[in-house]
Amino acid sequence: MRSSWDIAVLGAGPAGGAAARIAADDGADVLLLDEQRRPGGQVWRVKSAARHFASDSPETRAGDAHRAALEQSKVTFRGETRLWHIERKKDIWVLHVLTLSGTAIYNARAVILAPGAREFVQPFPGWTVPGVFGLAGVTALIKSQQIPPGRRCVVAGSGPLAIYAAAEILRLGGEIAAIVTPNSRADWLWCLPALLANPFLAKRGAEWIAQLKRAGMPIFWRHLVTRTKGNEVLSALHVSRCTSEWAPTGAATEIPADTLCIGNGLLPNSEIAALAGLELHYDADCGGWIAPVGPHGQTVIPGLYLCGDGAGIRGATVASEQGERAGMAAARWLKGAPASSGSQRRSHRAEWLGLAMTGLSRPRRGLDSLTTPETIVCRCENLTRATLEAEIDAGAASVEALKSATRCGMGPCGGRYCLTSAARLIEMRQGAAPGTVSPPTTRPPLFPLPVAAIGTEFDYDDLPIPAPAPL
Amino acid sequence: MSESYDITVVGGGIMGCATALRLAEGNMRVLVLEKSDLCQGASGVNAGTLSLQIKRVRLMEYALRGHRIWASMGDAVGFRKTGGFTLAFNDREAQLLKERQTLKRQAGAPIEFVTPKKLLQREPEISSKVTIASYCAEDGYANSSLTGQYYRACLKAAGIPYRERAPVSAIAHGSDGFVLTTSLGQVRAKRILLAAGAWLGPLAAMLGVNLPVRARVNTVSVTEPTPPVIGSVIGHATGLLTMKQKPNGTVLIGGGWQGYGTPDAGRGCVSGKTMVPNIALARYAVPALAKARLTRSWTGFEANVPDFYPLAGDLPGVYGAYVLGCVRGGFTIGPYIGKLMGDHILGQEPELPLFDPDRSFEGVPG
Amino acid sequence: MSQTDLQAGDGADLRFSFDGRTYEGRKGETLAAALLRAGVVTLGAAPGGDTKRGAFCWMGWCQECRVWHDGQMVEACRLIVSEGLEAQSRGNGDA
Repeated sequence: MRSSWDIAVLGAGPAGGAAARIAADDGADVLLLDEQRRPGGQVWRVKSAARHFASDSPETRAGDAHRAALEQSKVTFRGETRLWHIERKKDIWVLHVLTLSGTAIYNARAVILAPGAREFVQPFPGWTVPGVFGLAGVTALIKSQQIPPGRRCVVAGSGPLAIYAAAEILRLGGEIAAIVTPNSRADWLWCLPALLANPFLAKRGAEWIAQLKRAGMPIFWRHLVTRTKGNEVLSALHVSRCTSEWAPTGAATEIPADTLCIGNGLLPNSEIAALAGLELHYDADCGGWIAPVGPHGQTVIPGLYLCGDGAGIRGATVASEQGERAGMAAARWLKGAPASSGSQRRSHRAEWLGLAMTGLSRPRRGLDSLTTPETIVCRCENLTRATLEAEIDAGAASVEALKSATRCGMGPCGGRYCLTSAARLIEMRQGAAPGTVSPPTTRPPLFPLPVAAIGTEFDYDDLPIPAPAPL
Repeated sequence: MSESYDITVVGGGIMGCATALRLAEGNMRVLVLEKSDLCQGASGVNAGTLSLQIKRVRLMEYALRGHRIWASMGDAVGFRKTGGFTLAFNDREAQLLKERQTLKRQAGAPIEFVTPKKLLQREPEISSKVTIASYCAEDGYANSSLTGQYYRACLKAAGIPYRERAPVSAIAHGSDGFVLTTSLGQVRAKRILLAAGAWLGPLAAMLGVNLPVRARVNTVSVTEPTPPVIGSVIGHATGLLTMKQKPNGTVLIGGGWQGYGTPDAGRGCVSGKTMVPNIALARYAVPALAKARLTRSWTGFEANVPDFYPLAGDLPGVYGAYVLGCVRGGFTIGPYIGKLMGDHILGQEPELPLFDPDRSFEGVPG
Repeated sequence: MSQTDLQAGDGADLRFSFDGRTYEGRKGETLAAALLRAGVVTLGAAPGGDTKRGAFCWMGWCQECRVWHDGQMVEACRLIVSEGLEAQSRGNGDA
């Protein structure tokens, strides 16, 4: 199977798909890789084959258009392909991937990263109980499997995702016990100008809200889920009012539910960028630690581009436009041409809205107090806030030191679901601002790599025989 | 920060910390400066193997004493004496193993040779392709990740101040000692010990001394928790494999496969080209490893000089300056050689000799 | 566009087992989704074994839904069910 390309694009969501298509249209030989079976990313996930008869939403239609455009292009798409390591050898990028048939190595002269985002969930008591799901994860489940995540659901979180997920759960026949959001109506009013500048999205949002209203859904504005009940599975949860800084306050209301979908905004997936050699900077407006990019997605490393939510959370419309610019820039760079081109789409209105929605979702500092001393912060290693703080008090002053001493972040998730909170614990103990304590060095593999899949062509007789160590 | 100390230790790894503790016992006022966090260099990222079977003949006495110190540190550093097997899979490796382990046994390591049958009784998951193995009951491992936590607590208990994230950018040497410029301000000290591992070269250069320090970029990998596959520390006749399974089920795999990068530019990079055969060899030796998943591979810089013996003694030509580092197998002997170094600085005769940094490296193959 | 694609499913039912119990699945859906439809959200034990875990991120990253399948640890939210598939929850020793 072919292994060398002009451009490899990692991630086939709105950004990566657009980048691949534009670069291929400009004559580049493009390989597009994604972990999922079909292009679309998390936002435009394709429906599972089991659910092809389910009715379409504007999101599935946008995804279908995206897939159709790629079908018609010269892009080579390889799905079910996960990147576990990226290296640069002289001027060639070496991509180590795991496919359904084992490991493989692809080479490319330029690489466009479109890694998207993942969820941030502020740890709170009982967030590890089965039946508690990430909100963005549930939207992925809804889109691909077209099933509600449970029988009686509470949807909790900031920004538009909570509203969207609740409306979709209703559409799929699920029961919504409550919608709980730390945002106030006033927070949303602040975003009204940006929303009105984007009529299609504003209309979609209004439809969701109207749908929820029609169904008589209780919406708890400026409230938080503070704890769950249930051991083996979720049985109920507690909801409290919160301050404008999102610190829980006052008495809790108990709501019976078997499912909680909860999220506190999105984090850019920066691991591939870091592994590729880019330095990360903290940018709260962009959702956290990101590698800086120029207007065409160019990074400080020649031939390496970054676009979409992985370059800062701005949503699908902006991601798609960024992807187009990065795709064009990469194709031109290969020809030795400058990146500039006047005719490219750039919607400042969409960027405005993306910024507003990220601002709406961005965790406020009061959320920190949801994580009680007994709350598990590192799910993989079952480590509580108290355990981590004891180590911080004993002198662990960096994420690396905290990891080494406690194993926080050393489990199979690679620290994706704990190290943001762990860094915040160090910052709080040091009285430092968010973004002061940097993430640890990213190491391969980027996900747990089956030993069975590597070295399958190993021949013992090919072992390089080293000079014996000195006696 | 403008402070004055009897001695400043530059480098908060195992050797620097162990020396600082000995010096404080001798009533010196010590400061430890570390450019990142304590024990985040080779001390904290190596595979943690404590094996006499991979120690050099001339360093065996040091390693035996090193093992005793690690045993005394115990659970705080995850010490386990499991015994260790070194495997040979063909005649060439068997011959190599016999020659080398015989010399090490003569040097004092209790190494014996075992048949594949006996090996498989103890370690049933090991490949039946082994032709012969050597065994040393003294072998085991410690958890290198815990060394930072351990020495941080030791320094605190001994009242020794330390500064992390305080790289030294300049060292001035005058008649009354040294002035070190760090990111946290200036520090004065009558004496100075350079114990910065792979970062020794540039530091010594600040004092006009050229040390022929190089670094190997060793790769280590770890699996997620996995049902038990091995109980002992496993090695390979060529040295290309070390393996051990921790009480939490994770399997740590090393063997000196080389990544790339330099100490002045970050923490080094894992090379897929070397990491993959390292894991494949591990799986060849223990086929059951195929059911595990790798969660992380990383690199660490192991410093050395051309003769692969330690630098341990006076920094040539600079009165009041000392250097310690560059040991092959430095994790094992680090806590011990730190004590020897401390004794030397305190003006006492160390119980085993140090390794003069002023020796000639000319004509040494390496 | 060329691509490696799985056979498009036809929604046909199939049967698989998890921890020895038999469930019905639909062709093309993931193990975690099929179990969720059957009301099964507990997929394994937390380290230490005193609490339970289930799917959380639904994107193949958090690893909370990992189960044993065919001698391997796999993410239930990425594993497509097939006729006769057998999977087991992880115990606390192999979590």
